[in-house]
Amino acid sequence: MLEAANLTKAYRRHAVQVPVLNGLDLEVRTGEFLSVVGASGSGKSTLLHLLGTLDEPDSGTVKLDGRRIDNLPARERDALRNRTFGYIFQFYHLLPELNVVDNVLMPAYIGHSTLNWWKGRGQWRKRAHELLDRVGLSHRLTHRPRELSGGEMQRTAIARALLMNPRVLLADEPTGNLDAASGGEIVKLLRDINRDEGVTIVMVTHNLEIVHATDRVVRMVNGVVTDDTPGAPKQLPFQPLMLAAV
Amino acid sequence: MYKLLLCLRYLRTRYLAFICIVSVMLGVATLIVVNAVMSGFSTKLKDRLHGVLSDMVVDTDRTNGFEVVREARRPLTPEEAKQNPAVPGARRAYSLGTRVTPHAREDYYVDGDEHVTVRTLTPDGIIHEITTGPAGQYVEAITPTIDTFAVLQYRDRGAVVAKPVRLVGVEPIGRTNVGGFAEYLVRQKGAPNPSFELTPEALQRHEWNLMQHRHEHGADAPPPPKLPVADPLAPPAPDMKLDVGIERPKLTGAILGYGLAHVRYKDANGQLLEEQVLRPGDNVVLTTAGGDDLKPVWGTFLVTDYLKTEMSEYDSSFVYVPLDQLQRIRGMAGRATSFQLKLKNYDRDKEAVAKELRKVFPTREVMIRTWEDLQGPLLSAIDVERSILNILLFMIVGVAGFSILAIFTMIVSEKYRDIGIMKSLGASSWGVMQIFVGYGLLLGTVGAGLGTALGLWITHNINAIEAFISRQTGTAVFPRDIYYFKEIPTNVDPLTVILVTAGAVLIAVLFSLLPAWRAARLHPVRALRFE
Ligand SMILES: Nc1ncnc2c1ncn2[C@@H]1O[C@H](COP(=O)(O)OP(=O)(O)OP(=O)(O)O)[C@@H](O)[C@H]1O
Ligand SMILES: [Mg+2]
Repeated sequence: MLEAANLTKAYRRHAVQVPVLNGLDLEVRTGEFLSVVGASGSGKSTLLHLLGTLDEPDSGTVKLDGRRIDNLPARERDALRNRTFGYIFQFYHLLPELNVVDNVLMPAYIGHSTLNWWKGRGQWRKRAHELLDRVGLSHRLTHRPRELSGGEMQRTAIARALLMNPRVLLADEPTGNLDAASGGEIVKLLRDINRDEGVTIVMVTHNLEIVHATDRVVRMVNGVVTDDTPGAPKQLPFQPLMLAAV
Repeated sequence: MYKLLLCLRYLRTRYLAFICIVSVMLGVATLIVVNAVMSGFSTKLKDRLHGVLSDMVVDTDRTNGFEVVREARRPLTPEEAKQNPAVPGARRAYSLGTRVTPHAREDYYVDGDEHVTVRTLTPDGIIHEITTGPAGQYVEAITPTIDTFAVLQYRDRGAVVAKPVRLVGVEPIGRTNVGGFAEYLVRQKGAPNPSFELTPEALQRHEWNLMQHRHEHGADAPPPPKLPVADPLAPPAPDMKLDVGIERPKLTGAILGYGLAHVRYKDANGQLLEEQVLRPGDNVVLTTAGGDDLKPVWGTFLVTDYLKTEMSEYDSSFVYVPLDQLQRIRGMAGRATSFQLKLKNYDRDKEAVAKELRKVFPTREVMIRTWEDLQGPLLSAIDVERSILNILLFMIVGVAGFSILAIFTMIVSEKYRDIGIMKSLGASSWGVMQIFVGYGLLLGTVGAGLGTALGLWITHNINAIEAFISRQTGTAVFPRDIYYFKEIPTNVDPLTVILVTAGAVLIAVLFSLLPAWRAARLHPVRALRFE
């Protein structure tokens, strides 16, 4: 459903071009839980930003269901980010002034006019509470982000990403800042979401354990995909590969 | 939706927002207070400067007053020609006599083949001409006066005191109708028909003064000087002594400027004291000049009332006496040196009236001036002060604007990451811009609202605040004896308050535009990577 073809991206730094993506091709299939691994600086975050229209490639295309989305006008890309993609970041990226519920409701706030929001506010609140219940945070509704643990913040971020019923979750090292136990819970949560709601997930990670939970692993080196390993968790050839990558 | 929510949240939780609100608040409060005090000062000062001046003054520099002559010529009727036969070899010239009417003295002549009527207008005649002419529609009241200089002499503890004064002869009721007279009198304050009559108490004091005088000087006291009524131009008798009494039947009242009759001084302890040196019934001699060759002339008057405008220039220089008395003393019966006018609508009509009056008095010896012309230098000083102050205040506004800009830039850069987050959740650049402009609007509104309240409160209680500060510091913030006012005058102009408040909100919004635009332009990925 989500196709990247021949993507290139370079950052300019004092007139020096830093190439990050060099003709990357990737197809994300509907309903799969895909993990992206690769050395630090190999361009994983950049790829995720391009897939989610947060940034534009220098060349190449990104297609959603066969439709190009990388060159859409700003308004349509804003709408895509609001409804079709859900972002999860390593550093949670919650708004510090808002409590947990308001943080979760933020995409609905952004996506609706005041009037429409007002009309549907009851349903939205209900949905937010359900999602928070699902991620196990129903006892923390009115807390501020700074009063939460890392795992709780990440679960809030997941609830926020799910609020608008997105088709694709883009997770950039969601466990990177968590201990093994909380990280495991987060991945389990993502796994359940992927299975129960059929949400497609693209997850960037460094963590070997986590990779086992996913349907497919791609490895990036120097801005291109070098390995594409489909298969069930704990499939054997994968282990040494991962070790090599880290 | 999220915009409002975030604005309100940022307002509640941000320390910088508090600073911003305080700076807007202080700026607005300062502007309101300064404007109120400035405007209070200048309106009060203008009132005071207007003071004893009527709206408009027509006066002449001729010591003998106006000489308004109207000449009319017509061909002789055959009958008149027969009665005044031509003499061969000479131009025909006959005087046909004189007639005096309330409005003019009319002289009739035969001049060649023409009959000439020369009308020399009396003050009443001039007033009639003004009020029945085109200027009449604008004029509410008009009165003739004589305005001249004089020396005021009186005895204080046995010694002669002389002071230069402005001597004004007025018809008290007519002068009251023009304004700026009765409202400043001490005894007859605001009376519709004030007079120069002496009260029984004043007459009593006068009697007592006479007795006192006889007691001191014995029976062979020099005779009181004769009032130079019969021959105003006769030089004073060489043996004349001032202040030795008056001709008893002629008890004429005079109204003295309060400052002339009272002395103020500070005693050894710095205490301000006031003492009355001329009481009602005390006699003063006013010496001025009169006649074509300006001989000294004088008259003795009894103090009957005081003029208290609280403008020291007026209070220490004006002396009012009855117009007819001054005319007699100066030998200018039936004449006046100025006309005081009150207009129905001064601000609207002053120019039209001046133009029409100029047609009545086309010659240069007659000056037509508004009270503002007369107070020109002082009024323009006020204006200059005001415009300088406005420039300074504008600079304050500029400084406040730039501090808003600085604070906003800080707020925006503090919020870099949040901007990235919102954009990753689908917020548009325009939406982000709205958040920060809305934030500016909110801070501006709250700050301006609080500032307006604070400014109005300070303005309202400014005298109490001044008293408090003076008490605490031991120095007078507003020394009463320097200014003309008992307390700090204020004048809250609703329009100014609205302008200041709206201006502050506008400036807050304007100066938040640039940071907001920068926030909106921020690339989401860069914002997200920002730590
Ligand atoms: N704004 C930028 N300007 C210049 N270079 C940049 C910029 N953003 C990223 N880069 C460079 O691009 C390269 C790829 O960055 P990216 O964040 O995609 O890597 P990554 O694979 O996500 O690494 P990590 O695993 O450490 O998160 C890095 O070398 C980085 O230094
Ligand atoms: Mg990264």
